[in-house]
Amino acid sequence: MSYQDDLPETSGYSKVSVVISAIVGLALAVVSVWWAAGTAVFYEGLFRVSPTVAGGGVGTDWVVGNTVPWLDFLVALIHAADVLMGLFILLMVFIHWAAFRRLAGRMQGPDERTADAVATDGGETE
Amino acid sequence: MTSLDHGKFTRVTTTFHSLLALDVFALFFTGYSLTFNDELWWLLSLMGGPQSVTALHRAAGFGLIALIGFWATLMITTDTGRSNFREIVPTGDDIKAFIQDVRFALGSADERHPSAKQFAGGDADEVPLLSYIGKGVVFIFAVELFLLTVSGLLIWSKTGLMQYFNTKTAAMGFVVFHGLLGVIMLMGVMFHVFEHGFHPAFYPVEPKAFIPRKLIPETHADGGIEDLTLAPSWSTVSTVMGILTVVGITSVMIASVFDEGYPVPREISVGGGPESLLLTLGINAGIFVLFVGLVLSMYGNLLRVRWERQLEEDRRQPAATDGGQPDDD
Repeated sequence: MSYQDDLPETSGYSKVSVVISAIVGLALAVVSVWWAAGTAVFYEGLFRVSPTVAGGGVGTDWVVGNTVPWLDFLVALIHAADVLMGLFILLMVFIHWAAFRRLAGRMQGPDERTADAVATDGGETE
Repeated sequence: MTSLDHGKFTRVTTTFHSLLALDVFALFFTGYSLTFNDELWWLLSLMGGPQSVTALHRAAGFGLIALIGFWATLMITTDTGRSNFREIVPTGDDIKAFIQDVRFALGSADERHPSAKQFAGGDADEVPLLSYIGKGVVFIFAVELFLLTVSGLLIWSKTGLMQYFNTKTAAMGFVVFHGLLGVIMLMGVMFHVFEHGFHPAFYPVEPKAFIPRKLIPETHADGGIEDLTLAPSWSTVSTVMGILTVVGITSVMIASVFDEGYPVPREISVGGGPESLLLTLGINAGIFVLFVGLVLSMYGNLLRVRWERQLEEDRRQPAATDGGQPDDD
C-alpha cells in the first residue's frame, strides 16, 4: 500500500514468515484431524460379545456409569475450576465496572458538550 | 477513536485476533447449544440440529488448530514473535496493578496502575504492551485452547475412544470434560467483551485491537481523560451490558455444576440438572453478550477499513496533481 510508505517503521512480520506459519498451521490441522478421524471404528464392530449386563454387553456401561477413575476425577476437577474461575472472573467484572464508572465521572458529560460545543473545524457538533 | 489511544499491535496480530474471535464464537455457539441444550435448544435448531451443529463445530475446530499452529510457528520463528515472550511474562507490577485496581474500584486509590491502564494517556513507554488483564487473558486462553484442542481431537471419533477404553461412557465422559473445560473460556470471553467494549473512553470498541500500529502514530497521545466527552448512551448501555455480563457468567457457572447428565450423558446434547426459567434466561443473556462481542468485532473491522480509506485519502491529496486516478474508476 503505497500511501503507507513514509509512515514510521514499526517492527512486524515478514510475508515469508506469515506464509510459512500459515502452511505449518494448516498442515498441523490436517494431520491432527486426519489422525483423530482415523481412530473411528464402525459401531457394529464394537461390544459384540456377552449381550447381558452381567456379561458386560451392550448397554452395561450406561447402567454402570463412568468407570474410569481418573476421568471421573478430571471431570470433578474441572467442575471445581469452573466455579473458582467463575467467581474470580465475576470479581474482575465488578472491579472493572466500578473503575469504568469512576473514569466516566472524570470525563465531560454528554450534556456539557452541547453547551460549549464550538465546531472549530466547521463540522457538525454531533 | 480518542486522542488517548494509539496502535499497539501489528496487522498480522490484529487480523489473527479477529479470525480467532470469529472461530471461537463459532465454537461457542455450536458447542454450548449442545452442552447447555436444556437452555439453548433454539440455537441448536437454528443451526440445523445436532448433526449439523457437530459438523460445524468440527469445521471450526479444524480452523482453531490451523490458527494455533500458525501463531505458534510465527511466534517461535520470527524476531518480532520471540520479543513478545518478554512482554507477556507476569511481573510484580501486575500484582500491584491488580491490588491497586481493587483499591481504585473501592475509591481508596486515585489512579489505576500503569499496568492496568487500557490506554497510554501520554507516553507510550509508561504503559506496558499488555495490562495485567491482557497477560492473564493470554495465559488462560492459551492453556484453555490447548486443552480444548487435545480433548476435542480425542472425542473427534467417539467409537475409537470407546474401543480404546472398552466402554462407551469414557467417550461421553470426555465430551463432558471438553464442555466443562470451555466454560472457563466462555465466562472469560464475556468479561473480555465487557472490559474492552464498555470502557468509557473507548466505548464501544478499542481501535487498537483492529487498526495496525503502523497506521496510528504514537505521537499524538496527549491530554487526559478529563478532556474527553462521554458518549450519551454510555451510562445506560454499560449498565445494561454489565448486568447481562454478570447474569450470563453466573448462570453459565451454575449450569456447569449440573449439566453433565447422570451417571454420564447418553447423548451429545447434554442435559440434566435444574431447567428453570431463570437459568434459561440467564444463559441466554450470556449468549447475547457473546453475540454483542461478535458484532463489536465486526464493527471494529469496519472502523479499520474506514480509517485506512481516510488515511489513504488524506495522504494522497498532495499527490493527486500528478495525474493519479481516483479509486472508483
